[in-house]
Amino acid sequence: MKRELEHVEIPDEHDARERAWQLVSAAFAERVPAPPSRPRRLVPVVALAVAGAIVAAAASSPGRAVFHAIRSTVGVEKAQPALFSLPTSGRLLVASGGGVWVVQDDGSKRRLGSYASASWSPHGRYVVATRRNALYALTPTGEERWSLARPAVLFPRWAGTKTDTRIAYLTTSRLHVVGGDGRGDLDAGGLPAGARIAPAWRPGKGFVLAYANTHGRVYAYDTVHGADFWSRPPRSAPYRQPRLLEWSSDGKRLMLVTADKLVLFGPRSARPLAVRAERVVDAAFRPGTHHIALIRRPGEVSQVTLGARVIFSTAGELRGLTWSPDGRWLLIGLPEADQWVFVRADGRKITAVSNVSSQFRSQPFPRVEGWAP
Amino acid sequence: MAPAGRDERAWVRGARAGSASDLEALFRAFWPRAFRAAYLVVHDAQAAEDIAQEAFLAAVRSLDRFDRRRPFGPWLHRIVVNRAIDHARARTLRREAELDELHAAPEEESPLDRSIVAALQTLSPEHRAVIVLRYLLEYTPGEIARLLDLPRGTVNSRLRRGLDALAEDMR
Repeated sequence: MKRELEHVEIPDEHDARERAWQLVSAAFAERVPAPPSRPRRLVPVVALAVAGAIVAAAASSPGRAVFHAIRSTVGVEKAQPALFSLPTSGRLLVASGGGVWVVQDDGSKRRLGSYASASWSPHGRYVVATRRNALYALTPTGEERWSLARPAVLFPRWAGTKTDTRIAYLTTSRLHVVGGDGRGDLDAGGLPAGARIAPAWRPGKGFVLAYANTHGRVYAYDTVHGADFWSRPPRSAPYRQPRLLEWSSDGKRLMLVTADKLVLFGPRSARPLAVRAERVVDAAFRPGTHHIALIRRPGEVSQVTLGARVIFSTAGELRGLTWSPDGRWLLIGLPEADQWVFVRADGRKITAVSNVSSQFRSQPFPRVEGWAP
Repeated sequence: MAPAGRDERAWVRGARAGSASDLEALFRAFWPRAFRAAYLVVHDAQAAEDIAQEAFLAAVRSLDRFDRRRPFGPWLHRIVVNRAIDHARARTLRREAELDELHAAPEEESPLDRSIVAALQTLSPEHRAVIVLRYLLEYTPGEIARLLDLPRGTVNSRLRRGLDALAEDMR
C-alpha cells in the first residue's frame, strides 16, 4: 500500500514544487524575524523600550516614511526575469514603443510591426492595428490583409460572428464603422462627437455600439438599423471625464468609468442601475460574470479588488487590468517596477515578470491590448 | 524519506533566525509528502498544490510561535489533511463544474496508479485521509486520532472500512 501511494504519478509535480517554493520563499523574505530572546527579567523593560521606540519612530514623519518604505516596497519580489509563459492558455496582444506584439502562452513573441495600438478580432483570428493615419487588418503572424487610410485613427474595436464582423474606431472625435473586410466605411456623421475613449461593442446579436460623447453622455447605437438601441431615455445624463466603457460578456451590463464615478447601465435603458462615487484607476468585468475587478488607490497603496476582496496590493501605481479568457487570471501592469503581475482571481497565486519594457523594446511601459483564447 | 528529528529541529531553529537555506531544506524535505497527501485526498493536482502551499505559508507565518520541542511534520500534516478534507467535502457538496475543470485535459496516470487512485476515489474524504495518514505518512492510529481530533475507535473503524472498500474495489 505504502509503495503504491508513494508511486502515484501526480501531474505537474515538479513545477508545483518550484512554484510553491517561490511563493513560500517570497513570504519568508517579507517576514520580520522575532528578536532574539533576552533574559526573562529584562523582558518587560526591553519590550517597553522597544515599543516606545517603535511608537516614537512611527509617529514621527520621517519614521512613517521609513515604515512605509519597509512595509511597502514597489514591485513583487522573486519576479521572473522574463515572460517564460502565461499562467493559463491564450495569447496576449501588446502595444509598446517597439510596435505591436503577439505573445503565445509558451512565452514566444512575434512582433507584428510598428503599429501604435491594436485589438483582437472577436475570435482572435485577426488583429486590427493603427498607425497615425491608417487602419490595418492583420493576421496574428503580422501578414497585412487590408488597410484603410484615415486621419488620426484611434481605438479600433472589432466585433461580430465568424462570418460577419464590423470594426469601430475614432478619427479625432468622429465615430466610424467599417466592415471586417475593410469595405463600407461609414463616418457616423449624424452622431454627436465622440469623447476620446474606446467605443464598446455589445456582445451578442446585432451590432450595438456604446460610446460616450464629448459631454460624457453615453449612447448605445444600433449600427445595423441606424437607430438608438436604448429607449426611455436613449442617452445617459452627462458624466464628466469618461475614461472607460465596457460591456459584460453577456451584454447585459455596461460599465462607465469616469474621473470620479463608476456607473452601471442595464441592457435597455440609459438610466443607470447604479452610480458609485469613487475614484477608480481601471476596471474590468470578469468574463462570464457581472463581477468587476477594480484598481483603486485609496492612499499610498494601490489595490486590486474583486467584489469585496482585495486580491493584490502594492505601494506602486498599477495600470491596466486584463482578464484571461477563462476568467481565472488577471494581468496587471506595475510600471514603476517594470513588472507585469499575474494574479489568480482568488488572490492566492501571484506571479510576476520583470524587465517588461526591454522585452518589448520599449521606452514607455508596454500596454496589454487584449488576451484572446 | 522523512528527515531525522535533529535535522528538522535545526532547520526550524535556523529558519526562525532568518536562514533562507534552512527554510529551503525544511520545504524540500516536507513538500513532497504534504503535496502527495493532499493529492491523494482531493484527487486534483491544482487543489493539492494550493492546499500544500497554504500549509507552508501558514508555517512561515507561525514560525516565531512554533514550539521548537514539537516535531514539524505532524503540525504541517494536520493542516494539510484537514484542509484537504474540507476541500473534498465542499467539492462533493457543490458538484463543482468550474470552467477550468471543464476545459482541463484529463490527467494521465499509469495503470498501476489508476487502480489505487480510482479505488481511493470511491472512499469518502474522511476515509481517504486516514488511509493516507496511516499508509503514506506512517502515523499510528493514536497519532492520527490526535491529528484529526477524533476518538481512536473512529480512526480504527475508518481504517478498517477504508481498507475493506479498497480491497473490494481493487479485487
